[in-house]
Amino acid sequence: MINIVTALPAEARPLRDHFKLCDKLQNSAFPLYRNADMALIVAGPGKVAAAAATAVLAGIAPASTTSAWLNVGIAGHAYHAIGSAFIAHRITDQASGSHWYPPQTLAPSLPTENLRTVDLPEADYPEDALCDMEASGFYPVACRFSSSELVQCLKIVSDNNAQPSSAVTAKLCSQLVTDRLADIAQLVHALSDLAGEYNHWHAPHPQLAQLAARWHFSVSQQHQLQQLGRRWQALAGGESLMLEQLQKKNSATEVLQCLRQHLDTLAGNA
Amino acid sequence: MPAAAPRHPCGQRLIMFNNIYIEEQVAAHPRSRAICERFPQATQISCERYGEVFNPKSQDFRLQKRNPSLILAHKHDGRLLETPEGYGIGGSNNYYFSHMLNCLYDCRYCFLQGMYRSANYVLYVNYEDFIQDIDATLAQANNEPCWFFSGYDCDSLVLEPVSGFAENFLPFFAEHPAAHIELRTKSTQIRSLLKQPAIPNAVIAFSFTPAEVHTALEHKVPTIERRIEAMQKLQHAGWPVGLRFDPMIYHPDYQQQYSRLFAQLFGPLDTTCLHSVSLGPFRLPRSYFRNIVRLYPDEALFAGTFTETAGMISYPPSLEREMTDFCTGELLKHIPEAALFPCGLAA
Repeated sequence: MINIVTALPAEARPLRDHFKLCDKLQNSAFPLYRNADMALIVAGPGKVAAAAATAVLAGIAPASTTSAWLNVGIAGHAYHAIGSAFIAHRITDQASGSHWYPPQTLAPSLPTENLRTVDLPEADYPEDALCDMEASGFYPVACRFSSSELVQCLKIVSDNNAQPSSAVTAKLCSQLVTDRLADIAQLVHALSDLAGEYNHWHAPHPQLAQLAARWHFSVSQQHQLQQLGRRWQALAGGESLMLEQLQKKNSATEVLQCLRQHLDTLAGNA
Repeated sequence: MPAAAPRHPCGQRLIMFNNIYIEEQVAAHPRSRAICERFPQATQISCERYGEVFNPKSQDFRLQKRNPSLILAHKHDGRLLETPEGYGIGGSNNYYFSHMLNCLYDCRYCFLQGMYRSANYVLYVNYEDFIQDIDATLAQANNEPCWFFSGYDCDSLVLEPVSGFAENFLPFFAEHPAAHIELRTKSTQIRSLLKQPAIPNAVIAFSFTPAEVHTALEHKVPTIERRIEAMQKLQHAGWPVGLRFDPMIYHPDYQQQYSRLFAQLFGPLDTTCLHSVSLGPFRLPRSYFRNIVRLYPDEALFAGTFTETAGMISYPPSLEREMTDFCTGELLKHIPEAALFPCGLAA
């Protein structure tokens, strides 16, 4: 699952069309579109809106799995060419001076650049960074819901010293995103794969839910059951959880004891 | 998935970084500049303090281990620390230091993955400050023999072509015979050692586990055969070498596995010139153990039966004693008792 946060409808439109995000969620504070594998939210401009939209999206994502996150949008730069695209390797909030460093774990598909989030459109571009208005609101909030390797920002240059932001129209904005769909799709794919692998590592044993439904496990016992399920997957691989034998037990305590004894025997150092 | 690192014609993986983070304070340091020149294709990312990149909570060691970056930093304080009680190989003044955090290898039992949130490599470039601290410590000890152990937070030699760690530190030890250094390693990067005269107070200590454990758990580590070959070359050049079996890893067939390992090692090596052999039990602080299990819930190594004593996770005491006694007995068939030091560093 991947969650995409954009600021502007013009940024979102090409993404909705390309990824076929049809379902618009009703009664949401923000326009929200999704399919089975992706959700897209349109935050509106500014870091506060971006932070809020990110939190809203996190609230409707499945709790049992970890999603990847991507902020896609336009940005200004002093001299990078209009239409050039970058992944942010350092995000700075201009107002507070805070910095974040999205880990660059994926194979580089685009060049990376510093990104500075400003509160108001800037007439003077810093030479050492892209300028946007959302990333420092998006990134730290998304990192509360996912590991930072799965959270990235992709920015497309829409204005520079030669062509200032006053010339940016909705039509240009959509065109810039459209021209970069291949790169965006590649990053979406890579992040989704990485999130999928991460979720696979951490998936609980598929039969634990059956045990939890059959007996009442206290909170502490639920933790123990999860640990035993993990040990089972490590030691017994894809073997079934000996449900037939466990069905005969009279309580959660006996189930845990039986599993533990079996696992200690498997481990060979009981 | 990042592409596998290309290999040098000699078979060793070439070290490559896509990104190098550089603390502003060390941007102009000659060592930083040399390293950046070595990796012209790497993106250089400036940071104020390395902790901004290395310390944030929301990081996953396992994900980052796929493609770690290099962080060049300045070590401000705490460069030299006393070793825990019981750790040593014959000396009474024992210290350890780490010029680097994290290791290019990926051994599944390693405590580093439980201790650090980030898998990025931190290289402290201010070697001169480390050496100054070692010099001051030696002076405080009135030039009584002092031991300085390297290889706690990293492998001492695996990044040698980039870091020049041994090349820069060993000349001090050559001039100060009362200062002893152990370079603990699983690496075969010994070129810089072979280029200089052997130093009698520098021990190159190679860590080993049985072949079956190596294959299952020591990812990217050179084979046992290649490490033995490196040890032979060093011995031939006059370098003191040591063997470290730390941690000992349990398997139902551990006795046969360790017996085979010892036979494999003590055949080709000149045991009369072996400096020291040490054994260490498998132990992890509880919090590190929990972190590692969270990272690798599918790892059979951590699914065994462990006990907790005073916040440390270990094999049950009876098993730990049995393994130590067995390995000690086997080792004493090959080396004199004076060369064996049964306690390793407790993590």
